[in-house]
Amino acid sequence: MTMLNPDPDAALVERVKQGDVRAFEMLVVKYQRRIERLIGRMVRDVDLVADIAQETFIRAYRALPQFRAESAFYTWLYRIAVNTAKKALVDMKRDPVMTHTALQGADDDDETYRGGMEPTDGETPEAILASKEIAATVNAAIAALSEDLRQAITLREIEGLSYEEISDVMNCPIGTVRSRIFRAREAIAERLRPLLDTRDGNRW
Amino acid sequence: MSQPDSDRSLSESNRRILSALADGDATDSEASRAFQAWRDDADARSSWHTYQLIGDVLRSDDLAVEPAADEAFLVALRARLADEPVVLAPQPRVEAEPVALPAAANASTAAARSRGRWQGPMAMAAGFLAVIGVLNVAGPFKHGSGPQLASNAASAPVLASATSVNNSGVATDPQTIAQSKAAADQLAPYLAAHRQSAISGPFQMPGSDIRNASLVQPAQ
Repeated sequence: MTMLNPDPDAALVERVKQGDVRAFEMLVVKYQRRIERLIGRMVRDVDLVADIAQETFIRAYRALPQFRAESAFYTWLYRIAVNTAKKALVDMKRDPVMTHTALQGADDDDETYRGGMEPTDGETPEAILASKEIAATVNAAIAALSEDLRQAITLREIEGLSYEEISDVMNCPIGTVRSRIFRAREAIAERLRPLLDTRDGNRW
Repeated sequence: MSQPDSDRSLSESNRRILSALADGDATDSEASRAFQAWRDDADARSSWHTYQLIGDVLRSDDLAVEPAADEAFLVALRARLADEPVVLAPQPRVEAEPVALPAAANASTAAARSRGRWQGPMAMAAGFLAVIGVLNVAGPFKHGSGPQLASNAASAPVLASATSVNNSGVATDPQTIAQSKAAADQLAPYLAAHRQSAISGPFQMPGSDIRNASLVQPAQ
């Protein structure tokens, strides 16, 4: 091993650099919630959070060819989010209306296109309740796991250890670590499924 | 109707790979299969989202978000990404070849005695021109037909088209122009010094251009 903590996103980033926008979508799905929370701590206007998050990912996509992997992808993305939010705040002070329009990315002559998000329902009582239910279900599912599975996924997701490090801690082969983490995720996902499926049963 | 066993087995296999990819533990071939699954398999897409959501919620309850909100975010972003040129990182060869750019060739007209002194700046100048060239290569895609142009460019040597694009006067976006200008500004002192050196070289003999040109070749 040449690096203590190799970037877990290296394969995805490399794929994006080769022109695969779908790999970038996978990175978006991975980091969108964390980026929105980060921006939400900097920007009080709730309606702007998603727009700034969108702008963050667009900027990251444009700049990705220059990403040299000197830091982890998420560290790099985090910096872009902070800078984008700061710039939005400065622009907002200068011209609130124009900033909002610019962040939405809409063309003046295109009335149907809205590049930004539709008004979010993330703050409605129903959405807050659903979020709490998801959190409670995940925590209950974790508690119901066998000790091996719980330890494996906790070391990975909370402690951020690599498979190799987990195999050392748990004194088992890397293949076993991989299997335990997958089984833990599957068990939690099984409990979550009724909450995550949309009305027509399809997602994504 | 229940899912056929073969499909179920394939889906589970894809999910195993996605789980490993999420942790950076997938092999190259597995990663390729995961990207394919993301593209073609709704179950794979929803599993990828669920695995990431689980990880987020384990780290913090306030990252629990309804999937509908996440999906709406991605759908909106997709619409914007569709207007973006396809990302293509410069190939490693790009950085090795700028030695052959005009900057290096022009520099060969400098007096031989100043060659050593200018080797560093020459390398920097070639680097700047390479950056300008790459930026100009990226620029036109934003105004062209997007994916088609970009995908054609995918197989084209980036540096080969740098000079022609640079001279073609194709409009680029303000950011690209600003970046190019910044690079050009950095290059200006070197070019001015270079011109001065070329003019004031009193010992330059007729025909020395040819001899000097050979001197900029790598020693080996």
